[in-house]
Amino acid sequence: MKLGWQHWFKEKRFALRWERAKEAAQSTPMADYYSALLLTDQLLEDIPLIALDFESDGLEENARLLEAGWVTVDDGAVKLSRARRLRIRAEGKLQGSAVVIHRITDDAAAQGQSEQDVLLALLAELKGTAIIAHAAIIEQSFLNAACLRSFGVPFVGRFICTMQLEERWFPKERTADGLRLGKLRAQYGLPSYRAHDGLTDAIACAELFLAQCARRQRESLQIEDVLMRG
Amino acid sequence: MEIDEVISFLGRHAPFDALSADIIGSLARKIEIRYFPREMMIIDAGKENHALSIVRSGAVELRLGGTELNHRLGEGSVFGYPSLLHHERTRNQVIAHEDSLIYQLPKIDFLGLLDSHEALKSFFAKDEAERLRLAVDGLRRSEDGHGEATMISVKLETLLRRQNVITANPGDNISNAAKLMARADVSTLPLTDQGKLVGILTDKDLRRRVLGQDMSLTEPVSRVMTPTPITMTLDDDLLSAMLVMSQHNIHHLPILNAADEIVGVVSSNDLLNRFGMNALRVVAEVKVAEDAAAVARAARRVDEVLAHLTESGVDADHVARFISNIGEATHRQLLKLAEEQLGPPPISYALVVFGSLARQEQAGGSDQDNGFILDDSYDEQAHGDYFEKLATFLCDGLNSAGYIYCPGDIMATNDKWRQPLKVWKERYRAWIDKPDPDNILNTTIFFDMRCVAGEERLVDGLREQIFEWSSASTIFLSFIARAAAYTKIPLGFFRNFLLQHDEKEGDVLHLKHQAIAPVVDIARVYALALGLNEVNSEERLKKAAERGNLSEDAVSDIVDCFEFIRTVRIRHQSGQIRRGEAPTNNLSPELLSRFEREHLKDAFRVIRDHMDIISRKYAGNIH
Repeated sequence: MKLGWQHWFKEKRFALRWERAKEAAQSTPMADYYSALLLTDQLLEDIPLIALDFESDGLEENARLLEAGWVTVDDGAVKLSRARRLRIRAEGKLQGSAVVIHRITDDAAAQGQSEQDVLLALLAELKGTAIIAHAAIIEQSFLNAACLRSFGVPFVGRFICTMQLEERWFPKERTADGLRLGKLRAQYGLPSYRAHDGLTDAIACAELFLAQCARRQRESLQIEDVLMRG
Repeated sequence: MEIDEVISFLGRHAPFDALSADIIGSLARKIEIRYFPREMMIIDAGKENHALSIVRSGAVELRLGGTELNHRLGEGSVFGYPSLLHHERTRNQVIAHEDSLIYQLPKIDFLGLLDSHEALKSFFAKDEAERLRLAVDGLRRSEDGHGEATMISVKLETLLRRQNVITANPGDNISNAAKLMARADVSTLPLTDQGKLVGILTDKDLRRRVLGQDMSLTEPVSRVMTPTPITMTLDDDLLSAMLVMSQHNIHHLPILNAADEIVGVVSSNDLLNRFGMNALRVVAEVKVAEDAAAVARAARRVDEVLAHLTESGVDADHVARFISNIGEATHRQLLKLAEEQLGPPPISYALVVFGSLARQEQAGGSDQDNGFILDDSYDEQAHGDYFEKLATFLCDGLNSAGYIYCPGDIMATNDKWRQPLKVWKERYRAWIDKPDPDNILNTTIFFDMRCVAGEERLVDGLREQIFEWSSASTIFLSFIARAAAYTKIPLGFFRNFLLQHDEKEGDVLHLKHQAIAPVVDIARVYALALGLNEVNSEERLKKAAERGNLSEDAVSDIVDCFEFIRTVRIRHQSGQIRRGEAPTNNLSPELLSRFEREHLKDAFRVIRDHMDIISRKYAGNIH
């Protein structure tokens, strides 16, 4: 697919941001992440992608990350052998409402790893690939904030948003909650999973992505066909 | 780290529910999840398969052996494992019937799991037999090879011969109704009121409620009719009609059309005529035949019966029993005619038959295997001539009737097989005490014996004696078990065929020697080892199970295989008969449907496993 001028412009802007961040990352633990840039004209099935979900105690950019769950999507399959769920050690007391949602108690949160360590493990996986997430803009802002917090380096990466894909590929009138993960999964005949577990949500999102690509019925999708826009 | 959703799903479904939480946990981490929209192919036939598949959500359709039999699997079902178990290419095509999420466990992890968990191993092995069972049912239900409908799909419509149904009004008097029945020659009279069926009057009603009760013939029929009879519609099938009749012990069923009008009455005789009577009629004709030529004329219709029963969807075991009944009647009638001609026998004797007729497992194209067991008072000078003539009459008559002379000369005309009881006993004693490895295959047939005419005690006594000896002789049993294990199960042949190595072209599958004999052999080994009196293979196996030497499951597996193989055979023979050819046991692989080929493979595998078992049990594992 030929890129329109908007896409061309966007890609230029991405390249600019990437180069700046790469420079900032020099001699930081993030340098390795910026050593590999995913080229977007490759076939989807040739590139392992990472479905990612964070659990946090809020949605603001400075919310505390409590858990990261991710799984690799490769060659049209969700590979559970490459699934991880890492707890992030929280300093201080968690908000009660967050505890109820995630079932991550103060004690459990205290047993997690440091945010830095979790980020490093995650960045190693994210190197040279794209991130699949439902409402990926949230994961994007979490990652950016966390990287700045830990390493003083912004996070720039390729994102695939299953929520946006649904709107773009299969536009229609929807109810207010029509684009929620559970709702969309049900439409694709996918089973309902318990929400708000980092890994389960990542798997759920990965499955939805496979279902969307299957329904799209395009011979060979390229990375650029599925990347988040806007 | 636990993959909760996957673990809890596996823990809810067999066979994984039998595994510990730890194992399920590590299993979950091996899984790859794929999504298949409706109608997408999940597995294609004839390809390498790399994983066990589990339906997580949605439904898939197995197209067994291509397209002939569809099988649906829903949430929690597993598929794609036979190819993994046997390291072969896939046989079935699997298509997503709904949008489906599929968990796939890589082959190496699946096989590793099987090795360490007996419960899983037996689950997957058993499932293979289960699939065979489904296949047998499927075969029976499917249209046969000639496009004629089977019993289950035959509509009652096809049985109705009378165009205009004679009916009466419930207000008519009994006398008129009875006269009407007599004139129309019917045993059942439907009674209608303004076109609606309100009751029926049968011969039985007239006997029991009129004549038996001294009822006045001027009374209205409504007083003696059977009100609101059970009815069926033109669209119902014959088997349902048979079931309804046997359930309610009734012999007539009024048939209604879509508008609820009566269009005919089907009797139990109509059903029998369509399915069983054909065979029974041949037996009846044989029984009244007045000379050997008439016996032959009647008995030669056995082929027609075979084709007819097969096409009617009657199962292979019942077909074999019908065919054997005709064979038995033919032997009996010929001997009866011979005795009429030659005079009564000077001493008592028994006509013994061996092999398939003894086992009541005869199919088309059988030859003779028979002998005379003479009373020990036999004196060759005095009686020899009589029995030789008797044998000649019998064996020539059988030959004319289509039971050709035995190529191995196991016939009463051979004086070796026309001997007094004590000689027979000595012979068996020698076979059992000093088994000859070169010859043992040729003698096994003698261990399937049944008396079809004459003094039954001669055969029964001999058989009891033989089985007592045999069950006590481990050496003999090991020879027999070994001989059984020599039979080559044509598995490799089929694999080659599947992979289309054409250098085998021109080869045939000998259904009798390669497929049926192994099961017969297995059953016989158990019979000899356990001293069972049963002759029929299925009965032998069941008895072995009763004695605890074989599990119930194993028996039903073997019996299913046997049924399937014999179904393939009678269908093949029925086709030959319909084409005007003589029925044989040779089947060119090209004539097998893909469905048959695939399931024969399953059957052979089950049989091979059981051969290994008897080999271990009785032959010291030498083969």
